[in-house]
Amino acid sequence: MRHPFPYEHFRNKSFVFFSLVGTLPLAPALRSRLAAAGFQTAQELLDTGPCGLSKEIGISREEALEALQVVRQECHGDAARTPGGSGATRKCTALELLEEEQTQGFIITFCSALDTILGGGVQLTKITEICGAPGVGKTQLCMQLAVDVQIPECFGGVAGEAVFVDTEGSFMVDRVVDIAAACVRHCHLIAEAQQEEDHREALETFSLENILSHIYYFRCRDYIELLAQVYLLPEFLSEHSKVRLVVIDGIAFPFRHDFEDLSLRTRLLNGLAQQLIIIANDHKTAVVLTNQMTTRIGQSQSTLVPALGESWGHAATVRLIFHWDNKSFQTGHSGSWPWSATCQAPEAQEFSHWGWDSVG
Amino acid sequence: MVVLRAGLCPGLTEEMIQLLRANGIRTVVDFVSSDLENVAWKCSLSYKALVAVRRVLLAQFSAFPANGADLYEELKSSTAILPTGSPSLDQLLDSGLYTGEVTELMGAPGSGKTQVCLGIAASVSLGLKQHVLFLDSTGGFTASRLYQMLRAQTEDEEEQASFPGALQRIQVVRVFNIYELLSALQELRDRLSQQVVSSVGPLKLVVLDSVSAVIYPLLGGRQSEGLALMMQLSKELKTLAREFSLAVVVTNQVTRDGSTGPLKPALGRSWSFVPSTRLLLESREAPWEKATTQRVASLAKSPRQPTGVQVELDIGNGDVLEPSPVTPAQGL
Repeated sequence: MRHPFPYEHFRNKSFVFFSLVGTLPLAPALRSRLAAAGFQTAQELLDTGPCGLSKEIGISREEALEALQVVRQECHGDAARTPGGSGATRKCTALELLEEEQTQGFIITFCSALDTILGGGVQLTKITEICGAPGVGKTQLCMQLAVDVQIPECFGGVAGEAVFVDTEGSFMVDRVVDIAAACVRHCHLIAEAQQEEDHREALETFSLENILSHIYYFRCRDYIELLAQVYLLPEFLSEHSKVRLVVIDGIAFPFRHDFEDLSLRTRLLNGLAQQLIIIANDHKTAVVLTNQMTTRIGQSQSTLVPALGESWGHAATVRLIFHWDNKSFQTGHSGSWPWSATCQAPEAQEFSHWGWDSVG
Repeated sequence: MVVLRAGLCPGLTEEMIQLLRANGIRTVVDFVSSDLENVAWKCSLSYKALVAVRRVLLAQFSAFPANGADLYEELKSSTAILPTGSPSLDQLLDSGLYTGEVTELMGAPGSGKTQVCLGIAASVSLGLKQHVLFLDSTGGFTASRLYQMLRAQTEDEEEQASFPGALQRIQVVRVFNIYELLSALQELRDRLSQQVVSSVGPLKLVVLDSVSAVIYPLLGGRQSEGLALMMQLSKELKTLAREFSLAVVVTNQVTRDGSTGPLKPALGRSWSFVPSTRLLLESREAPWEKATTQRVASLAKSPRQPTGVQVELDIGNGDVLEPSPVTPAQGL
C-alpha cells in the first residue's frame, strides 16, 4: 500500500511536521482556503513562509503570521515530547495509574451506606452526578461534601478546599454553619476517644471560620455565566491549588429553559462535560454535579429519568439517583460498581448532622 | 491536491513552475490531467521534459492497483484475530476482534461499554501478552477495576505474579479534545512507522473510549467543521488499523429522536460507515432500578455474520454465561 506522502524522505524529522492541515487548530475559513490552495502538511506551510502564504491564499500578512505562529507552536509543543519520553502530559501505564489510585483519598459523606456504594466516598479526578426529585436533599449533600472535603488527613479526609457554583440560589449559609459545627464536633469526639497528638494539632486549624473561608462561592444566573465560570475555573484552580472539590449545584436549571436550538444545547453541554473532565483530571479534584429528574412518557407507562437527555448521561463517571420510597431513600448507582443500598430518611431535626442509619 | 513546488521531483525547476502557473496549472492534479502537447506549446517548454516529469509525478503520487490474489495472501498473513476473553462476545464477533478493522461498541449510559473495553484490554494484555493502547476521553478508566478483572480471570498464584507486567503493557493516554486525540494518533503512527520497540512493543489493540465525547462538542449549532474533523479522525483510525495490523475498538453513545423515539447510534449517518462491526450493549432494566451485571449484546452491523444475533454478557467479573439461542432482534 503506497503512502500518499513521501514519508521516506523525511525519516529523520519529527512526525509532527506531517500533521495534516485539517488537524491543526486553525479557524475553519482559513483551513478551507489552505485546502483549496493545495497545502497538505504543516511542513509545507512552514516552508512557504508568511509572504508566500499571504499571496497564495489571499489573506493579509498579519493573518498569515498569526497562522504560522499557531502551526509552529503546535509543532514545537509536540516535538518537545520525544517518543518514549515522559514529557507528554497524561500518558502513563495502567500500573502507574493503579499505584496513583491506591494512594488517592476519597471525600467521605458521613453516611456509611452511601460511602459503601460509592466505593469509599466521592472519588477525586472523577465526575459524580447526583440526580433526584425536588426536595430529596441534593443541595444538602453538596453542602455536606463542601465541609467534608476540608477534614484533616489524620481524621481520614483529604484536607482540601471547595468551590461551590450555585445556579439555583439554593445555597444557605446558616445550613452550612450547622453542618460545619456538627462536623467539628464529630472530629472533637474522635480526637478525645483516640488521644493522639496530631489530632489535637489538626483541630486547632479545623474551626468554623476556617471551614467557611475555604468554600469559594460563585453565583451564575444563566447558562452563559455558567459556561464562562467553568472555562475560567482552570485559572482559578491553578492559583488555589488546595481545592479538591468543585460542586455545580443545578447543572440542569440554566439549560432547561429558553433553549430553542436543541443541537446547540447538546453541543454546549458536551463541551462543558469535556471541560469539567479536564478540570477533574488536571487539578486532581472531584467534580460533583446535581441534576433534576424529568418524566419520560413511554408506550404504557412513564418513568422518571435524569434530565438533559441521553448524551448528558455519559458526562459523569458515577451517577447517584435518589428516589423517595415510602419515607426511605433508595439509591441506585450506575458506574463501576452497580450495587444499591437503602437508607432510612433522617428525622427533620437530625438533618444538620445527617444521622443516617443504613438498613439492609 | 499537492501544489507544484520546485524540487518536488527532478526536472521540475522554478522557471518551469512559474510558466505553468502563468497558464493556470498549480497542482499535481492539474499537471497530470492536462494535455501535455498543448502545455508544451503554450509555455514553450520541451515536450519530452514534461512527459518525464509527469511520469515521475505519477509514480510518486498515484496508488497502484493490486492483484486480488496477492491482496488475499497479504491479508491472510497479516491479519490476526484477538479473542476478547469472553466466549459469548467472541461468538458474536466471529471468534474475536479482527486486526485491520474498526469495531464499535455502542450503548446508553451505564450499559457497560467501558467495562467491556477494560475486559478486552485485560484479556489481550494478560492472555496474549500483547501491548494495548487505551485512549481515554471520558475520564472513566479506573485502574483498580482493571486489576479486579485481571484477578477474576485467574486464581493461579503464578499467573498473578505476571499482573504487574500485564498492567505495564497497557498504556493509557488521556485525550479530552479532538486535537489532542489526533496528535496522539499521529504520535502513534510515527512510533510504529519508525519501529521504536521500547515503549510500544508488539501493539495489537487500540481502544478509544469514547469517540462521541470528543466529537459531540463539534457537531450541531451552525458550525460545519465538526464533520470534517470527524472524517479526518475516521481516516486516521482506519489507516492505522490497516497499515499496522491493529484492532481498533471505539465506543459510541446512543441517542433518540425526540424523547420517545427508538434508540439509534450517535454521530449520524457519516460515522456509521466507519466501523466494520457494530455491537449494541443494553441492560434489560434501567440500571438504577435493579442492581444487575447482566447485559445483552446484539450485533448491529457485521461484514461476516448475520445481524440481529444476541448474546448475554456478565460484566461483573468476567464470568461468562451460556450463549442464548439465536433470537432475531430488530437490527438498527
